[in-house]
Amino acid sequence: MIKLKDPFGGIVLNVAFRALVPFTIVYGIYVLCLGEFSPGGGFQAGALLSVGVLLSRLILGSDARFNVAGRTSIIMAGVGTFLYAFTGWLTIFGGADYFLDYNYMPVHMEPAHEMHALAIFMIEIGVAICVMMTIINLLDSIVKMGDDDGRTE
Amino acid sequence: MRGLVAVILAVITATFCSVVSNLPPIGEAGSAPNRHVTPTYIERSAEDTGSPNIVTGVIIDYRGFDTMWETAVMFLAGLTTVLILTRNPVGRRLEEDVAEEGAVIK
Amino acid sequence: MQIYLVEAVLLIILILITCAVIFCKDILSAAIIYSAFSFCAVLLYLMMGSPDVAFTEAVIGTISTIFFVASLKKIDRWCE
Repeated sequence: MIKLKDPFGGIVLNVAFRALVPFTIVYGIYVLCLGEFSPGGGFQAGALLSVGVLLSRLILGSDARFNVAGRTSIIMAGVGTFLYAFTGWLTIFGGADYFLDYNYMPVHMEPAHEMHALAIFMIEIGVAICVMMTIINLLDSIVKMGDDDGRTE
Repeated sequence: MRGLVAVILAVITATFCSVVSNLPPIGEAGSAPNRHVTPTYIERSAEDTGSPNIVTGVIIDYRGFDTMWETAVMFLAGLTTVLILTRNPVGRRLEEDVAEEGAVIK
Repeated sequence: MQIYLVEAVLLIILILITCAVIFCKDILSAAIIYSAFSFCAVLLYLMMGSPDVAFTEAVIGTISTIFFVASLKKIDRWCE
């Protein structure tokens, strides 16, 4: 029986992986940073960033060096969700009456929409981290955990 | 039973095909989604949110509270999948683990 | 409502791909054909003028194909 600890392998997949993944990650960061100006945003950037980790885990096996190991992905998904709520808390700290009112960010900038841009960027980073780690979580729970006799690593 | 399902599907398909010619063309100014609140968003989102992309402005600025709980729902969905699919020996003991002591938590 | 020729061709291809996914005997090839379904959906969304949805669909189609292949390797049922 094939175990999933064995990688998919093969020279074609290894070479394609090395050529493909750096461009995917650079494009993911580009989509994250330019989400305000072009199609894209936090969700798509997180999904693109997770493709690199998924491919490295499937092709190079579970002991790949480029990896998010173990329980880290669950914790980081929570951290990404918290970063979103933290931005809303920052606006209340800056004196706003309502949650997520970006005119009251504690960092004061002169045209008001600069603060909006800062808050949108923070929120998109939070959403990207949450989506990326959630997708890695799903692959973790499908593939790695509950292997064979049901023990975690 | 399969004949009944086929008839129902045929009726639904015929209904939808008869309505297709009444759909508004893409980008029609007088259609229902483009009439009520959309002109306000298109006019004011650039100066209100400072983001040239109207979709980002609406999702994150005007509807920011909505998107926050959307993110929380997705985090909870991933967490629930992990909790269901992982057969964790801490929560659910295997038989041989119960037999030998101290092997429960690794 | 006007419909472009490209759009009609894409819709017909979409229906054909769905039939191929349903009647395919091999699970792995069904998973691969399903990614072609996602690609046609991306082109249709682009024709309708919504690049955000098309982008999301492209990325999620890729990831769902990865998940299908990983699950097939997990249950050890590659092909006949």
